[in-house]
Amino acid sequence: MNHTTPSANPIDRLLDSLCLTPAGLLSLVALAVLPLVPPFNHEYLIRWLISAAFIASLSIAFDFTAGLINIVNFGYCAIMGVGGYTSAILAERIGLTPWIGMLAGGLVAALLGLIIGMITLRLRGIFAACLAWFFGLAAMGLATKMVWLTRGPLGMRVNRLFDTASNVPYYYLLLGMMVVTYVICKWVTRTRMGVAFKAIGQNMEAARTSGINPVFYRVSNFVLSCALAGWLGGFYAHYYGILTPDIMLTSKTVEVLAVAYIGGRGSLWGGAAVAFPFIFAMELVRSSLSNLPGLNLLLYGLLLILVMIYYPGGFAAFFDATFRKYKNRVMNYFFNGAYESPR
Amino acid sequence: MAEQVGNRGWERVFKWCRSLAGVTVIATVLIALLATADRGGYILVNTIVTGGMTALVAMGLALTLGVLNIPMFAHGEYFMIGSLVAYYVFTPISSFLNTHPDSALALWGPLITVLAAMIVGALAGVVSEVFVFRQLRKRSRENWVMNSFLLTVGLSVVMINAHQLFFGADFKGITHYWSGPPINLMDVFISRDRAYAFILSVVVVGVFWFFMTYTRTGRAIRAVAQDETGALMVGIGLNGILMLTMSLSCVLAAIAGAGLLFMYPSYPSMGLEPLYMAWFVVILAGLGNVLGAVMGAFMVALLKVLTVEYIGSGWDFVVPSALIIVILIFKPSGIFGSEVRGVLDK
Amino acid sequence: MLLEVKKLNAGYGFLQILRDVSLTVDNGEYVCLVGPNGAGKSTTLKTIAGLLTPMSGEILFDGESIAGLPGNKVTRKGISFVSEEMNLFVNMTVQENLAMGAYTIKDKKLQKDRLDFVFDLFPRLVERRHQLAGTMSGGERKMLAIGRGLMPNPKLLLVDEPSFGLAPLLTESVFQSLDTLVRQGVTIMLVEQNVTKTLAVTHRGYVLENGRIELSGKSSDLACDAHVRKVFLGV
Repeated sequence: MNHTTPSANPIDRLLDSLCLTPAGLLSLVALAVLPLVPPFNHEYLIRWLISAAFIASLSIAFDFTAGLINIVNFGYCAIMGVGGYTSAILAERIGLTPWIGMLAGGLVAALLGLIIGMITLRLRGIFAACLAWFFGLAAMGLATKMVWLTRGPLGMRVNRLFDTASNVPYYYLLLGMMVVTYVICKWVTRTRMGVAFKAIGQNMEAARTSGINPVFYRVSNFVLSCALAGWLGGFYAHYYGILTPDIMLTSKTVEVLAVAYIGGRGSLWGGAAVAFPFIFAMELVRSSLSNLPGLNLLLYGLLLILVMIYYPGGFAAFFDATFRKYKNRVMNYFFNGAYESPR
Repeated sequence: MAEQVGNRGWERVFKWCRSLAGVTVIATVLIALLATADRGGYILVNTIVTGGMTALVAMGLALTLGVLNIPMFAHGEYFMIGSLVAYYVFTPISSFLNTHPDSALALWGPLITVLAAMIVGALAGVVSEVFVFRQLRKRSRENWVMNSFLLTVGLSVVMINAHQLFFGADFKGITHYWSGPPINLMDVFISRDRAYAFILSVVVVGVFWFFMTYTRTGRAIRAVAQDETGALMVGIGLNGILMLTMSLSCVLAAIAGAGLLFMYPSYPSMGLEPLYMAWFVVILAGLGNVLGAVMGAFMVALLKVLTVEYIGSGWDFVVPSALIIVILIFKPSGIFGSEVRGVLDK
Repeated sequence: MLLEVKKLNAGYGFLQILRDVSLTVDNGEYVCLVGPNGAGKSTTLKTIAGLLTPMSGEILFDGESIAGLPGNKVTRKGISFVSEEMNLFVNMTVQENLAMGAYTIKDKKLQKDRLDFVFDLFPRLVERRHQLAGTMSGGERKMLAIGRGLMPNPKLLLVDEPSFGLAPLLTESVFQSLDTLVRQGVTIMLVEQNVTKTLAVTHRGYVLENGRIELSGKSSDLACDAHVRKVFLGV
């Protein structure tokens, strides 16, 4: 899955150093241009785009833990919610600007990740998943009960980032955050730390005997992934304008999880790629077949099961197997003037 | 000679009392009695009734963990299936009973309801095993724990939304299973439904314990839990045992769901609470430890009742989470010992 | 011919270990399969026992093809496998383990008879009959594993490295028990690294190297063979 093998052509090499691929760049450009193109310039579709981009960003950071070190952070959206609430509360209580509030949210979430990572470091991955889940449920419980701080289930009004009525600036901000998330995660996987993550994910014992301290790496991974979640949570709070404990529900984490795994675990970009058609399809089914509630979610549950059994590599594996080879051949032809079979 | 044996027996009892398991069990009983003295008999009643049903759900989860090695996150949905079936079976019975209060159905109705829930629960278990988990098992044993966990997540989504799609998101409840005045036990009034639920859980746990300890199939299940290859080597057919165990696990959850319908009406996402309780019990008692789960269930039930009583309702996700942290730091293999192959990282 | 293996190819996933392995075991024989570490001896036994699916080749037991049958069905045909890891039920007592060994026997009287037989063969297990299998020493666990394998009165007993990790005295004891079994008419195929001892007690042997059968013949002949002596005895 690592695209650091040096390619023959200069475009690939340049993009590679930015952690991008030609297909990725094209998709980004398409996404950036989309709000200008009807019918996507309607507000409700912009909202769908934002939802999709949000899940996409979350799934990138989620995959950083799930795909690389093979631990499912089952309280992920709760941690994201904690970041959101942190930023919202700081904005309300001490008037902190949301731009810094978002970072504060990331910091608090990172702290949570640190605690969870440290407690479960010697245990099997399933314990980390369980503890993250319990933490998430507790966080949701606290957010619901501590009404003096969070207004509880009634919801907390949050000041928005931009004063515009349109959501378009939020979309572009989120796209930027998505790219930053991806680049950070991708860049780390290329460092020695990233190699260590992969080693731990595959064989903890072998990694240990190679001198890798799995404790340190597991915790670091968790902390980064949670920090990104908290940062994104801050965005959500100051975009949506209202914050309720519902964003911490396990079912929200399940949505991110499904997107990340159907997209292709370990790929980082797979979930992001899948998120857009996914959210659109789900919203379409929901609005057009409103007499069949729950059908959209049922379908995505089925899809998750089918992908996990029959095509565990997910969309990313499918893409790699079919398109990438073809694209490489085409690029090869352009730059080397003749058709050469790829090695 | 007899005296020596008698002494050794007592020695073993005292040794157990000093062990972690013994201490927590004794502490639980003492705390329960203290709280009862403080606030009233309903504390004990609630603990026992909740504990009994939690025991069923937790035993089912322990089975899935220990024998199939699947971290089952859809377990609450089998509870939901049980309650859903119970609703649709008992509601017509109930309206019949309104006009014919003296018919035999007054006695047999609730029992038939539970039986129906058992049958559908068993079917759900078989379908899950044959069409979902066996397919994964056939394709790849690698990374089994995480992969099967993801499948259970998918199953959970499917079941919750199937309920919503086909049966609606509203609350489907019944007022009572058994009509008649509540039972008066030492100044505490216990509704007949609660008494029935508790007796049901005692009977089921008893039958289940007997099955696992004394029957050939029960021993085969325990063998598969301890060493799958060894079980193959002595001639035990794995597929059959795995399917049976999955089925049993779902039946246990379904019975609990049906038994508690009078207290917890059925709706699509009702499974979260039983799921959470079951996982709490199982981590507390030790993953895969089926009998330990029974004891652990009563401890967790007491904790829940006391939390609601002394701190207030709505905190029941927070307090257990704090306890889980303590357990995971100091005794991750659980109070009664884990029987799942390898708790600590390899 | 009790067991015929013809051109067996097997391995784990994509990794092929056995290449065209062929061997036979006749009724009442005491046959050994020796070879260096990693040669594929355990793989051979596991494939015959049904714990691994062969890639190609034939396995005939009593004339019937059993290649690809799962482990439990192979046991029911009359082959018992005692693995190197023993695969005992660690939270069950000695008696319970042996009782599980008799899983395929419906007749209670027959179960009792087999239990007596195993206790006769391994008196040390009698004293420990109510002890948990997981708390016993290595030698006792080996005896229990062999005992459990004997419970269904198998036509063929496959034993993988019975002396592995055992002190010499215990090794001797285990080999003696196997001897007794052979004299009583049990057919045994043995996989061992202790070549000298093995060739001394068995009738026939096969030498497996890199997944192929390099040599075969009477054990006494193999013991004198120059190649065998060089590879295994460093002579």
